[in-house]
Amino acid sequence: MKAMERAEVRRAGATGVLTVDCDVHPHFKQGLKDLLPYLPSGWRRRLGVGLESSWSGDVYASRFSLPRNVMYINPVGALRRDSYPSDGSIPGSDPAYVREQLLEGAGVDRAILLGGDVFGLGALPDPDLAATVASAYNDWLTERWLEFDDRFRGALVVAPQDPALAAREIDRVAGRPGMVEVMLPLTNVLMGDRHYYPIYEAAERNGLPIGCHVNSVDGVFVKGPQLAGGVFTYYTEWHAALTEVYHANVISLVCQGVFERFPGLKVVIAEGGFAWLPDVLWRLDRNYQALRDEVPWLKRLPSQYVFDHIRFTTQPMPEPARPEHLATLCEVIDAGRTLLFSSDYPHWDFDHPAMALNRLPEAIRDRVRGENAAELFGDRL
Amino acid sequence: MTRHVVCRVDELPEGGRRIVDLGGRSIGVFRVDGRYYAVRNVCPHMGAPLCLGTIGGTMLPSEPHTYVYGLENRILRCPWHGYEFDLETGRPPFGTFPLRVRTYPVRVEGEELVVEA
Repeated sequence: MKAMERAEVRRAGATGVLTVDCDVHPHFKQGLKDLLPYLPSGWRRRLGVGLESSWSGDVYASRFSLPRNVMYINPVGALRRDSYPSDGSIPGSDPAYVREQLLEGAGVDRAILLGGDVFGLGALPDPDLAATVASAYNDWLTERWLEFDDRFRGALVVAPQDPALAAREIDRVAGRPGMVEVMLPLTNVLMGDRHYYPIYEAAERNGLPIGCHVNSVDGVFVKGPQLAGGVFTYYTEWHAALTEVYHANVISLVCQGVFERFPGLKVVIAEGGFAWLPDVLWRLDRNYQALRDEVPWLKRLPSQYVFDHIRFTTQPMPEPARPEHLATLCEVIDAGRTLLFSSDYPHWDFDHPAMALNRLPEAIRDRVRGENAAELFGDRL
Repeated sequence: MTRHVVCRVDELPEGGRRIVDLGGRSIGVFRVDGRYYAVRNVCPHMGAPLCLGTIGGTMLPSEPHTYVYGLENRILRCPWHGYEFDLETGRPPFGTFPLRVRTYPVRVEGEELVVEA
């Protein structure tokens, strides 16, 4: 693997196309304690993150933790076993080791950081708590990561519960060097809903795409995105079904006319898959021909809004038994425009850039490797 | 193109339609708002008898979450899937997708209604 990694780095250099990894996860070393320096004292007290006992006793929620999947147990663990730094801390929590293993080791030229511990913020019932954690996270991300290596790029996180607070947070943080995206943790309100419009307006105003990512709380917390059909038993079922959330949200974004209202808005769907997309595009386009006058604000076929405004990250790369099936899929979804490479480092289902990109048709490999990302993020990349 | 006499003018009153066979093709002839239209009676989508559909208007392109109704009596909707065709052009209104149904010139010659098809 080492030899191949070095060859891949050289190849990237030779074509001049940067390898842009659009889904990398920084993690806290000690949970929310990492955010202590960035939290107002009143909230520190409220959350008890200094590890003093809170008022609520020792059993039920006696210590605050951010919402995440606590129901489905991944038998291989959620994190790469070879990604623990030498001091034994959590994978993704040491910027120096991420630099060594991902940037140097796997030949990644830019890593877009999506907070691995804040995916689930949308599931919190308290909008002020969620917004406070988001702000603290953004300050932590800036100081600990963006200022550490100029190949790290940040997705500032917002709390979706109160869109006015979220818009204010975007305006507060968007101008920092290295911020390239707004990460929007999802709730059980679909993305086309006007609830989110102040957030989209702020993202558009600041020239940042809205990114969303599998939320970890999907189908687990009441206020998180719900999964269709019912409640799964096993992690492998739950994980396979997580893409459902993005079927729903792509349909919602398009049909509610979000891209007519915010023509400069771009959306990145990270780790939400893309092999399901043809079905959604075909159904939407066919429906449009019969049902257009229900949504007459759509001036073009729904698929055209998707191709122009929504981007999808690659990991986990589909692995059909016959490679030509992946090539056909890429053709249907216009992958030369819509796909962005991602590794999901340091999570268990990581894709190495050399292996993942080489599965794609050669004609679009550099588009996916970095050219699409360069068009999306522009000078901020 | 062949000249076909469809019927006497007074046999197609305002708002009326006739489905006729002209040289082996089923064609619908309509009189709407004092104008005549002739349309191939086959939907280009799935072959439905298009001319059995309803005639009315449609929602005009609008701002998100608003409705503006217009083009009254210009739109023929397929009886199967509701696809819309502009009676003037045979195309979906606003050029939204690339299907087209054949339309034919209609004219009044004395007492007779004539279609070139």
